[in-house]
Amino acid sequence: MSSSYLTSVLIWLPIGGAVLIWLLPLSRYATGSLALLISLAEVGFWIRQAAHFDFSQPGLQMEERANWFGDLGVSYHVGVYGFSLWLVGLTVVGMAACTAYGFWVGRDRPRAYFGLMLLLTGATVGVFESQDLLLFYAFFEAMLIPLYILIGVWGGARRMEATIKFVIYTMSGSLLMLAAIVVYGLQAGTFDLVDGPMSGSRWLFLGFMVAFVIKAPLFPFHGWLPDAYREAPPEVAAVLSGVIAKAGLYGMLRIAITKFPDPTSFYRTTVLALAAAALVYGSLLAFRSPDFRGVVAYSSLAQSGLIALGLFAGTDLGFDGAVLQMVAHGLISISLFLIAGAVERRTTTGEFRLLGGMARGRPALATLLMTVGVISLAVPGSAAFAGEFLILAGVFQRDWWWAAIGAGAIVLAAMYMLRLISAVLHEARGSTVSDEALDLRPGELALVVPLVAGLLFLSAWPAGISSHAFAPDSPTAAVRSQFK
Amino acid sequence: MTGGAWLCLLAPLVGTILILLGGSWLPRVAAGWIATTSVFVAFGGAVWAFFGVRGSTGHHGEITTAWTWLQSGNFHVGLQLLVDPLSAMMMLIVSGVSGLIILYSIGYMDGDDEERRYFAYIAFFVFSMLLLVEGGNLLMLLIGWGLVGLSSYLLIGFWHERPSAVQAAKKAFVMNAIGDATMALAFFILIAHTNSLSFSVLDAHLSSTQANLVALGLLGGAVAKSAQIPLQTWLPDAMEGPTPVSALIHAATMVTAGVYLIARTHPIFEQARTIELIAAGTGALTLLVAGLIALVQTDIKRVIAYSTMSQIGYMFLGAGVGGYANGMFHLMTHAFFKALLFMTAGLAIHALANEQDIRNMRGLGRVMPFTKWCFLAGALALVGVPPFSGFFSKDPIIASTLNIGWYGYVFYACGIAGAFLTGLYTFRLWFLVFPGEPSPFVREHYHDHHGREGAWTMLVPVGVLGVLATVGGWIQWPPLWEPITHWLAPVAPTLAAAEVSSTQEYVTSVVTVIVGIAGIAVAWAVYSERKLAIPAAPSLRRVLENKFYFDRLYDRIFYGPSAETATFLRREFEEPVVLQTGPDLGDVTLETGGLVRRIQTGLLRTYVLFLAAGAAGVVLAFLIAR
Repeated sequence: MSSSYLTSVLIWLPIGGAVLIWLLPLSRYATGSLALLISLAEVGFWIRQAAHFDFSQPGLQMEERANWFGDLGVSYHVGVYGFSLWLVGLTVVGMAACTAYGFWVGRDRPRAYFGLMLLLTGATVGVFESQDLLLFYAFFEAMLIPLYILIGVWGGARRMEATIKFVIYTMSGSLLMLAAIVVYGLQAGTFDLVDGPMSGSRWLFLGFMVAFVIKAPLFPFHGWLPDAYREAPPEVAAVLSGVIAKAGLYGMLRIAITKFPDPTSFYRTTVLALAAAALVYGSLLAFRSPDFRGVVAYSSLAQSGLIALGLFAGTDLGFDGAVLQMVAHGLISISLFLIAGAVERRTTTGEFRLLGGMARGRPALATLLMTVGVISLAVPGSAAFAGEFLILAGVFQRDWWWAAIGAGAIVLAAMYMLRLISAVLHEARGSTVSDEALDLRPGELALVVPLVAGLLFLSAWPAGISSHAFAPDSPTAAVRSQFK
Repeated sequence: MTGGAWLCLLAPLVGTILILLGGSWLPRVAAGWIATTSVFVAFGGAVWAFFGVRGSTGHHGEITTAWTWLQSGNFHVGLQLLVDPLSAMMMLIVSGVSGLIILYSIGYMDGDDEERRYFAYIAFFVFSMLLLVEGGNLLMLLIGWGLVGLSSYLLIGFWHERPSAVQAAKKAFVMNAIGDATMALAFFILIAHTNSLSFSVLDAHLSSTQANLVALGLLGGAVAKSAQIPLQTWLPDAMEGPTPVSALIHAATMVTAGVYLIARTHPIFEQARTIELIAAGTGALTLLVAGLIALVQTDIKRVIAYSTMSQIGYMFLGAGVGGYANGMFHLMTHAFFKALLFMTAGLAIHALANEQDIRNMRGLGRVMPFTKWCFLAGALALVGVPPFSGFFSKDPIIASTLNIGWYGYVFYACGIAGAFLTGLYTFRLWFLVFPGEPSPFVREHYHDHHGREGAWTMLVPVGVLGVLATVGGWIQWPPLWEPITHWLAPVAPTLAAAEVSSTQEYVTSVVTVIVGIAGIAVAWAVYSERKLAIPAAPSLRRVLENKFYFDRLYDRIFYGPSAETATFLRREFEEPVVLQTGPDLGDVTLETGGLVRRIQTGLLRTYVLFLAAGAAGVVLAFLIAR
């Protein structure tokens, strides 16, 4: 296909940009501008890719393949499916907003910072596009390394503690995955994801799943999450929960469920139970969390649980709903963390007892937080509602009680999200909210408004994703045929 | 006629968007007029749709699809509207009454420094409500249902600097979310068995368990939205919102949605007749409980709020026994007279510098005669005194319980007792507030508006509703004259069990009117002439003042435990166990390396080194395990 080059461009353009920024001695302003330009170009290339994607065709599209280590069956093999197209879109749009946020707040050591942000972009796109397990692993690791540094260098007061936890968790997971990849590849004779055979090995399935379950995360593997989301700079927390967490869920779909159908059935109840636990536990802790980011962090845990519930339901509605919800929650989470950043910059804190009353005189902040907040609690008619509705209808077909637990958690979601909205915007003015705390500036609006507009568009037409994720097959058929 | 439906739905949304985009560039007055105009345009659309249905053959309605909203595999749901007799009737009521109330708000909200936000919210509410009644499949209905809950949250909490308003708004949203969740579960059953959410699947044959569960889920949504027991506690608190909001949402439109839902989804309720009778029983219970609580309330808006709960109880009773047209007819007259009552109360509150305590209001009628007469029309309609509208709509509901079995007689007794309570609490309010010499408080605080009782934008809608509350019931007088029943027959025909003989109808009318007037007489004797003392029953009084302890019970069994569980989990599990696992894991890795303490430098690379060594071991283990 003529537009196949886009697949590689989306990966290598930001990585090349990162190298360029590290090499060139550019000024702070020029560095930020260049990085922003590259991330906007990424969005442009992705729009082109989406425009050329043929939703009426099954299987891999815009494929590029080159031999790498032929003897080992390793190749450079990239391409996109419907669902990966949407996740790539989420990545480039989210990264563009977050890079722009870094530029807007003027992060120090700009060359290092923007280089890492671009590297992160390229690596994450690589994760969603790789069709070779070793390549997938390489990008998966390449995605984590910039994150360690971004949290460790630009993070809050307790950043080292947060980074160490994050490293230990993710490294344990990815090393187990590496082991599983090596064994799978040696047994199959190829590392190719499209050509590779299905496997019935429960051990290998678990090896992969540990990495994905930590990355997503699901209960009780979320020990790294609260600290990382609180200590990271807001835009990095946004990327982490909005985009990177989706890599774990994507891995469950693309590798664990597809390549290991029998172990998936065998462990289905276990994973569903972990997912439901994440959903309920995350919602309960979000409800008691004393600060803005804590609520968003635990609600991300809950949402990961919900999406995993959809994926492991193993039904059409569950798969479609999970993909839709990945995109919707990605946009929600990025918007919420960026708004949290804006609030923290104005008040120096995210603690609810010090906040309040910000709605008066700050209509843009109030409107945006309110809009994202109610979409995030899945008010009927929103994109998140569409996703959750499909997921729960899908998991209902597996067993009714999962859907009943999910419906209960949605009531909890209303409780914690309304608590957040009120604690920031309503009632008496908090002690840290001064008159100098202005409404959102045009620069901040330019970042958040497009994300919210995207959410509103998806709310008007969720079928745009839900019926274009596995098209033209039914999702279960597509998974059964391993997306061939 | 579908053009009318789209116009009706979209006009208020356009109004909202214009006000939001206009922001602070928009003059304050303009926001109110944009909202009012957009809703009256919607009313025009409703009239267009109404005549479209009227001119169509068979009156079976028409579905119009804009695009496929949600799709997965072969399950798909369109962004659809349905125009049929039932939705056309609701469109007329909702847009008509809303238009009047928003016009009234222009005067009521004048001078509030966030008027624009108010009008954006209220136009959005009308859009949501119209989506609810026009939605062409169950999912569209649920979306309207949820958005109505959202806009109600926004409007109740409009004065967001008052903690009580914020609390009330959150409570309303969460209780409604419980209803949304049970409805969603009902829909999951339908999807699992029929793979569709169109209204026609309600006729599909389900097993009796499935039908019962679906009906129960829908009933959960209906009781939450309509503030029926056991999900009623949010409605009185919702009176924290501005008074026109109470008139619009908590009287005329939103809270009656549960009745619409039962009428719309009646095929499933008829398959699950037990659940339908439970709905009727819920209505009967609520109408009594709410009527009793209304007797001890001292806030003018709360008295009317409890009377709303009680009247919706009647509608549930009517629809639940199978007389959908009776329920819908009462919904219509109730929209007129309850909006009227709230808006006259609003005139009083506005003129008395936001005072809401009826004990301070004695003798208000002397200074506000127009308000007094309009309130009286509303009160008589509420009690059901002929020829006011409530008389025509309430009696058929009570009569329709007579032929359904022994529990029918229980319902009948509840209905009659409720009529007595209605007379009593309504005229308690009347005698405490309007007749007699003005109290010192009234003299001190009353202020007129350029020599009138309120701005003309407030007085005109009150006058119009006063007329409607008086004559609005004449449109149907069973068994002589039943155009509404015939209009709704193609969509929601009355069940045979709810058909009654003319004698039963007449006897019930006579009994109800006598009992209602008896209630008025007792109120007169107690509160005006003070010939009868209020019975001193302190324990009963305490129970009523505590609203039968529902709030405290829910705090104790739901909110308290979940908050405590969350705190417990955080303190006893999350912090000591989950958040500690990472560092512990790191330490264990180091210890197994055999170099305890000396190399525990906290350096990342040492951790990584040992993790890598561990991984190599795992590869071996995997290979051996296979």
